Amino acid sequence: MSRNLQPGIHPDADQLSVFVEGAATAREQERMLAHLAECGECRKAVFLMQPNEETQRAAATLEKGWMWRWLVPVGLPAAALACGLIAAVIYIRPRGGAPETPQQMASARQPETERPATTVAPVANAGADRIAPSGNLEQGAPTTKSERAPAANSTQVAQFGRPENSLASNAASNVPRKENRIAGGLRPPTSKSGPMTARAAPQKPVAAPSASASADSAPTADSSLAQKSISTTAISELPLNGRNVTDLQRLQPPDKGAAAQNDLARKKELPALQIQDASVQAQTPAGISGRITDRTGATIGGVTVTLRDVSGKTRQTTTGADGSFHLAQLPAGQYELTAAAAGFKTSQQSIELKPSEMAMLQPVLDVGKMSEVVEVEAATGAASVETESANLSQVVTEMTGVHRAVALPSALPVQATVSHGKRVLSLDDAGNLFVSRNEGKKWKKVKPQWAGKAVRIELMPPPSGEASAKAKGEAAVANEEAAFLLTTDSGTVWSSKDGAHWHQR
Amino acid sequence: MELAPENRLLPEKLGEELWRVAGAEPVEVSRAEFAEALETIGARDNFGLDPEKRANERQRETFWRALHLEELAIARGCALGRESAWRRFLAQYQKQLIRAAVEMTGSAALGEELASALYSELFGLTEREGRRWSPLLRYSGRGSLMGWLRAILAQRRVNQYRKIGRETELGEIEPAATVSEQVEAEQLEGLRLALKMTLSEASAEERFLLSSYYLDQHTLHEMSRVLRVHEATISRKLRRATERLRKQLLRTLTARGLSRRAAEEALGTDPRDVDINLRKLLQKSEGDPISDQEGKD
Repeated sequence: MSRNLQPGIHPDADQLSVFVEGAATAREQERMLAHLAECGECRKAVFLMQPNEETQRAAATLEKGWMWRWLVPVGLPAAALACGLIAAVIYIRPRGGAPETPQQMASARQPETERPATTVAPVANAGADRIAPSGNLEQGAPTTKSERAPAANSTQVAQFGRPENSLASNAASNVPRKENRIAGGLRPPTSKSGPMTARAAPQKPVAAPSASASADSAPTADSSLAQKSISTTAISELPLNGRNVTDLQRLQPPDKGAAAQNDLARKKELPALQIQDASVQAQTPAGISGRITDRTGATIGGVTVTLRDVSGKTRQTTTGADGSFHLAQLPAGQYELTAAAAGFKTSQQSIELKPSEMAMLQPVLDVGKMSEVVEVEAATGAASVETESANLSQVVTEMTGVHRAVALPSALPVQATVSHGKRVLSLDDAGNLFVSRNEGKKWKKVKPQWAGKAVRIELMPPPSGEASAKAKGEAAVANEEAAFLLTTDSGTVWSSKDGAHWHQR
Repeated sequence: MELAPENRLLPEKLGEELWRVAGAEPVEVSRAEFAEALETIGARDNFGLDPEKRANERQRETFWRALHLEELAIARGCALGRESAWRRFLAQYQKQLIRAAVEMTGSAALGEELASALYSELFGLTEREGRRWSPLLRYSGRGSLMGWLRAILAQRRVNQYRKIGRETELGEIEPAATVSEQVEAEQLEGLRLALKMTLSEASAEERFLLSSYYLDQHTLHEMSRVLRVHEATISRKLRRATERLRKQLLRTLTARGLSRRAAEEALGTDPRDVDINLRKLLQKSEGDPISDQEGKD
C-alpha cells in the first residue's frame, strides 16, 4: 500500500475512506485530489463509495424513530390546538384593517384561478415585480422567478379563453400537457377539480377577485351584481386564505373596458386574452404577461418577445424556462407583439392596452425552421404529431421522412434522427450511429460501446424540476440536461449527454 | 511485528485506558495486541502530521483518542481470527455490507457475489509470507469501519468492472477522423501544446473537478457529496476553472505568436479536430489501476 500518493501508486481503502469521510489532513486531502484528478479508477471508486441517499434518509428516519414515538402523541394534539387557535383568531379579527399589499393580494388569489366561473389575471404584482420608467421602452431583463410565478396562473387563465375548436385545444386533448405539469407544481394543494377545459367558460368576461383586496378602501354600489356573478355555491367552494365569505362577496364586476378588451380578443382571434378589471387601480400602468407554447401546449423557453408601439419604440424580453414572459410599466396604447424563437415560426399579434390594464396572452408558435417538416406535416395529417419543441424533432423527422435528406458517411438509409440544439444523432439501417455537432454538416461515426445493434434513438428532455434547479447555476450546465437514449436489439438502454460518450442505464 | 520496548510510544496507562474504551476484551483482543495496533497505525500515519514533522506526546495522544477505537478493536479481532470479533462484525456490518454491494453493482445477485468474495478475503483465506493475512489489518480506525468497507468494496467493483472490459477509453470512442479544412495544422499543433501546458498548470482540485465533470460525467450533486460542499460551490469552482483555463489558453496561444483574434478562433475549434487525448492530459498516471500488489488491500 502506498502511504505517499505518487502517480501510479494507488491509495488503499483506508486512505480512500479517510478522504471520503473528511478525516484527512489538508495535506492528505491535497494529495488525494491530485491523485484522483489523474486516476480514473480511483475516482470511480470514490464516487462508488458514496452511499445511496435514499438509504441514508431511511437510516436517518430510523434513527429519528424513538423521537417520533415520543413526540407524535404530544405533538399532534398540540399542532391541532394551535391550528384551531389560529383559525379562531383569523375569524374574529377586525375587518377594517389596512389594505393588503400587492404580494398578499397575489398569494390570496392563487387558488381562485381554479374556479369554474372565475378568471383571474395576476395583475396585482405586475407593478411590484419591475421598476421601469413607463415612458421609456427598454430591453427587458431576463425573466426572473418573481416574474414566472404569476405566469403559472396565466396558463390556466389562458385556457379558459382559448376557442374550443382551435387546433391547439384539439391537440391538447390528445397530448399530455407539459405546461399543466409545471403549473401543477405551483398549484395550491386545494385544487382537486377535473380538466380545466371541461369546466371552462371560454372567453367569458368575469370578475377579478383580486379587487376584493381593495374593496375595503373602495366600497362599491354593485355588490348585488357581484353576488350574482359569483354564486353562493361558488363562494362556499372558494378557499378563504385567511379571509371570510363577506370579503369575497364584495367582489366587483368587470367594467366595460375589460369586457371590451375581451371582445377585442375574440374578434382578433388571439389565442387567449384576458383583461382584468383595473378600475380601482387607475394609477398603475398597464402590462402584458403570458406564456408561449407550441401546438401541443408545451411551453417554450428562450423565446424573444418584442413589443412595439405605434411610434416604433420597442421593448424586449425573453421567456423563462416555463415559457412565461412579463412586460410591465407600459403606457396605454396600441402595440404589436412579436414572439420569435429558433426553430419556430415567428408569431405576431396586435393588442390595445388601456391604462391600468393587464393583458394575458398565450401565443402559440408553430414549428417552422425545418421547412421539409412543415411541408410533409400537412401531408401526414400532422394535427396529431407531437412536437414538444424545436429540439424534440425526433417524432416529426421520423414521421415525415426528413431524415431521407440526411447523407450519412455510411451511405445507408437513415432509420432515425434526433437533435438537440446543433447536435444531431442519426442511426442508419445497419445500426451505425453518427453524431453531428453542426446540424448535420459534418458527421462522425460513434464507436459502439454496446453489444448488438442499436435499434432506436430518442431524446429525453430534462425533468422540469431539475431544469429549474440548474437554471440557478450556469447556463452551460443547464443546456446539458437533455440526454440522448439509445436502445439496442437486446433491450439495453444507453444514455449520453453529447451523443459521443455513452453510459449504460 | 512487535516493537522493542524502547521504541514504544504509547504510555502503558493510556494504552490500558484506550483498550478499555475500545471494548477490545469482549472481541478477544489483548492489551498488547491492541497497543501494537495503535503503535503501528500512529507510526504509519505519522500521527496525522506531515512526514517531516515529529509528533510530541500530546499530539500522539490526541491522534489515538480520535480513532474509531471500538471499530478498530473489532477489525483487529477479526484479522486475528477471533470468533467473538467475527460475531460482532457480522451482526453489525453484514447487512450493511450486502446493501452497499447491491447499491454499487445495481444487482442483488452481483452484489451478494461481491460481498461474499470480500468476506472470504476479509476472513484471511490468503496468506502472505506464510501467515494468514486479512485486509482488515490495514484498517487504521481514522475513518469508520463501514466507510472502509465501502471503499474496499468500491475498489473490488472497479477491478471487476475493468476486468470484464466494459470500460471504454475516451480516445478509443472517437478518434479524430478528418481535420477541418479551415483549420491549419500548425494552428492545431499550437492549440494542442497550449492545452497541454495549461492543464498541467491547473491545481489538483481543478483537475479533479474537470476530470470528474467532463470525463466521467458525474453530476454537480455527486461531486458535491465527495467534496462535502454545496453543489453551487462545485458549479462556481468549475466555472472559475474553465474561465481561468480559457484565459490561460488564450494567453499561451498569443504568447506563441497568434493574434488575439486568431487565438479566439483557435479556441472555437471543434475539439475532435485536435489530435489530442484529453483524458491522457488530465490523467498523467500510467500505473496499474488499483494494483493487487502493495498499495492495495
